[in-house]
Amino acid sequence: MDSFITLFVDDEEEFLATVLKRMKKRNLEVVGANSGEEALAVLKSHHVDVVVLDVRMPGMDGIQTLREIKREFPLVEVVMLTGHANMEVAVEGMELGAFDYLMKPVEIDELLYKLQDAYKKKSIQEEKIKQINTLKK
Amino acid sequence: MGQVIKRITDILYRKKTLDDSEVEELRNAFQARYHFFKLLLNANNKALEVMSEMEEALRGDRPFGMTYVRALCTTVSTNVWQIVKNLNELAHGKYDELNSRFKAIQQEINPFIKPTHHPNEGSLTLSLNEIDKGFADQVGSKMANLGEIRNNVHLPISNGFAITAEAYRRFMEHNDLQQEISRRFQTTDRDRIDQLYGLSAGIQQLIIQSSLPQDLEEAISEQYRRLEQEDGKGITVVMRSSALGEDFAETSFAGQYRSALNISGENIHQVYKEIVASKYSLQAMTYRFNRGIRSEDVAMCVGCMTMVKAVSGGVTYSRNPIDVRDDSIFINSVWGLPKTVVDGSAASDLFVVGRANPPQIVRRDIPVKRQSFVCYPEEGVCRLDITGEKDSLASLTDDQVLEIARMAILIEDCYGLPQDIEWAVKEDGTIIVLQCRPLRQSPVQDSMDKFVHEEDDDSVIFTGGVTASPGVAAGPVFLARKDMDVLRFPQGAILVITQALPRWATVLNRAVAVISEHGSTAGHLANVSREFDVPALFGIEGALDTLKGGQMITVDADAQKIYKGRIEKILDTKKPKKMLMEGSPVLEALRGAAQHITPLNLLDPAAPNFKARHCTTFHDITRFCHEKVVEEMFQFGKTHRFPERSSKQLFCEVPMQWWILNLDDGFKQEVQGKYVHLDDIVSIPMLALWDGIASIPWEGPPPVDGKGLMSVMFEATTNRALTPGLKSNYANRNYFMISKNYCNLSSRLGFHFSTIETLVSERPTENYISFQFKGGAANYQRRQQRIFFIKEILERYDFRVTIRKDNLIARIEDREMEFMKKRLMVLGYLTIHTRQLDMIMSREASVNHYRTKIFKDIDQILGLGKARSSN
Repeated sequence: MDSFITLFVDDEEEFLATVLKRMKKRNLEVVGANSGEEALAVLKSHHVDVVVLDVRMPGMDGIQTLREIKREFPLVEVVMLTGHANMEVAVEGMELGAFDYLMKPVEIDELLYKLQDAYKKKSIQEEKIKQINTLKK
Repeated sequence: MGQVIKRITDILYRKKTLDDSEVEELRNAFQARYHFFKLLLNANNKALEVMSEMEEALRGDRPFGMTYVRALCTTVSTNVWQIVKNLNELAHGKYDELNSRFKAIQQEINPFIKPTHHPNEGSLTLSLNEIDKGFADQVGSKMANLGEIRNNVHLPISNGFAITAEAYRRFMEHNDLQQEISRRFQTTDRDRIDQLYGLSAGIQQLIIQSSLPQDLEEAISEQYRRLEQEDGKGITVVMRSSALGEDFAETSFAGQYRSALNISGENIHQVYKEIVASKYSLQAMTYRFNRGIRSEDVAMCVGCMTMVKAVSGGVTYSRNPIDVRDDSIFINSVWGLPKTVVDGSAASDLFVVGRANPPQIVRRDIPVKRQSFVCYPEEGVCRLDITGEKDSLASLTDDQVLEIARMAILIEDCYGLPQDIEWAVKEDGTIIVLQCRPLRQSPVQDSMDKFVHEEDDDSVIFTGGVTASPGVAAGPVFLARKDMDVLRFPQGAILVITQALPRWATVLNRAVAVISEHGSTAGHLANVSREFDVPALFGIEGALDTLKGGQMITVDADAQKIYKGRIEKILDTKKPKKMLMEGSPVLEALRGAAQHITPLNLLDPAAPNFKARHCTTFHDITRFCHEKVVEEMFQFGKTHRFPERSSKQLFCEVPMQWWILNLDDGFKQEVQGKYVHLDDIVSIPMLALWDGIASIPWEGPPPVDGKGLMSVMFEATTNRALTPGLKSNYANRNYFMISKNYCNLSSRLGFHFSTIETLVSERPTENYISFQFKGGAANYQRRQQRIFFIKEILERYDFRVTIRKDNLIARIEDREMEFMKKRLMVLGYLTIHTRQLDMIMSREASVNHYRTKIFKDIDQILGLGKARSSN
């Protein structure tokens, strides 16, 4: 699979540092952000394919951030990752277009598979848009 | 995206021939569909996995908490949601109705897993004068009981006040503690006790370092000033937990929380936080966890009462705790504060009072008492060595013993239940009730009374001691000396300790028995042992020196004997262990939620009720979507005249009665013409299956006894579905749908119908095999026999098998590729060889013959692997 860039958003410094380190070890291209606000700033300045988003953060929470990402960057796929199992928030997130909703602690391999699948979905969507544009011509 | 496919479809039907760009478009459309299909299968698989985990948890024989229940429900919901979404992506929204079914089912589940919100009413503190037993919801049952005894039974009780459940909630909200605590809980692996240790310490620190809301701080100070007015300036207090929800049926929260003796006014606020924090002590957490008590249901109320400078003190049981038929009153007493009786750490006097009229002392045990606990003048308690002849004197006079017995009877009458009462004797001789709670009695086991162990004397290691909790058990000895030994305590061992301290309660869910050198049956550890049905024998002097770690012993707590080795004759008398989770709020919550998740009502795809609107559980939705998505995928491949993608007949020396539909990357290269050769197939799971199918040739139908053939003929004429030619082609042919990592085989061989679906790749967590086997000619009884025969075979090769009527479902998940391939070979073999087995099922001899042959064949296939089958 071609390489893609993942943005991890989590207010917990320790978790963020660990996951970035572990993902780099698996040759994944990663960037990190500490808050929803920072995540949106990163998305404006960097190319990002997939976002892994913490649900509970001070300031802009995960659902708000998801809403913003999907509004401004509809093609970016978002995987929610949370320490709080909440069925209603989970379904709300999926309805807003999240790719999946995972719960901590998550197996690092399982997370990696999810990211690959999310990126695959993004590629397919992009391919489709290209086709529509060709059809229009 | 549905529109994109629609457009492509339109183009396809408009023209007969496709140019290159259109082929490319179609290939992309197919690839997109296949991707949704794979995502759906992943979600389908995960959903089924969680459902079976749920059913396992519902058996209630292993502990779990509310966060686990919520995590299960959330995982199931998100996956079922994805199943519905991906099916609708594939089928252009054809099954939109499922969305409203999903929402409706989710609404039904919600109430069971929502955190309970207690009404926000009441004061932050209440004086003991204002409290009676009706206040249990505000101040916890312990303080409510004391208020009742003081105000309605009129027994002497110290002045005091309660810090209420409302105060607890205000404190937790003020710092947003509950959210943080839940988060930490979820991210901890609870099966690992070292992680639990870290979790417990972290949460307690978090609570202790949080600030109290201003109004709560002032309310506590105000109550203390009132106590000073009643009992004198600078008085000290005792502070005890009085948790809400700690007294669910049959659970006594013995000693799980902190109490603090002799606290000065300036430290009350700090100690309050410490007691609240003790809700998350390792003992309390494991206790709740093991008993299925919802953590958020436990609000920590705290009682705060003027400290009694006790001359002597102790614990009274208004009845015999280990014999329901004995109504004698048991009084354990020591010099000084009753602390050592409560925590079981030292010898105490025992007085037994018979309920004659008037009551009489029927037994006095007065051991040497070397130490006592007394109050320091300013704050805290200290341990004193008892000197002189006082150490062997009784700590109570006979009059005091009878007075204490009288009070116990009064309190028992008030509650109508046996009571466990802690009391103290003041310097002026007044007896003060410190706390009381219902006593849990263990029934005597009749057979045990008469049981005579005819063992040789030299197998007995110890005789004597006191029965702290009845029962018998055998296991390896574990000598525990330090706190940290808790971390190493193995499942199924016998805990051997020097003092019966409450902290050892943490391992009671893993221990099969407890032996302690010291400690009384009135202590906390004894209480909790009885509650957990763990036999416990106390007062075994020298146990730590005599017993060796790892040594196998049998503990007979009823007969007060310890034996070398396992004594089966004694163990046979053991009663079955009760379900710990039964009746607990957590199990009830799971049960409530699961009734909308796990039942499967839509069994038969051919039935008229197999419709989206009839899905009433998440399992129904899952089943329905799976059936429909396979249909959708199949039809797409059939209706689009796209040479490269439509089905081919398998060619293996000759054309075979097997058709192959390549979904994505199942062929090595583009295949022209109507046949595909085995060499051109690169589908990992299909090749494994084929290895099993082709490995050992089928010998033809087994010899049929006359009755068997008649039975088959009869069914075939009455069941139209079994007659070839009457069903669609889809149902009649044997189809493989494949990609590199996926294979779905629907086969109809002879009279049975089976479906194998499997995903095998380098991602072990996504790997699965699902096998369904159904129907077949022969009468119901024979079909049943055959299905159980297949179950037996599959279980031998690691499948998890469930049977509903004559429908068998077998699954394997999460194993690595090589393992999965071997298991697919087993299924391939069975697909060919079990057909028409029901014809021979009535003869035990032939069944045995085929069982032996099948096991031999399969073992041979698994041993030889691919080398043999490829020739």
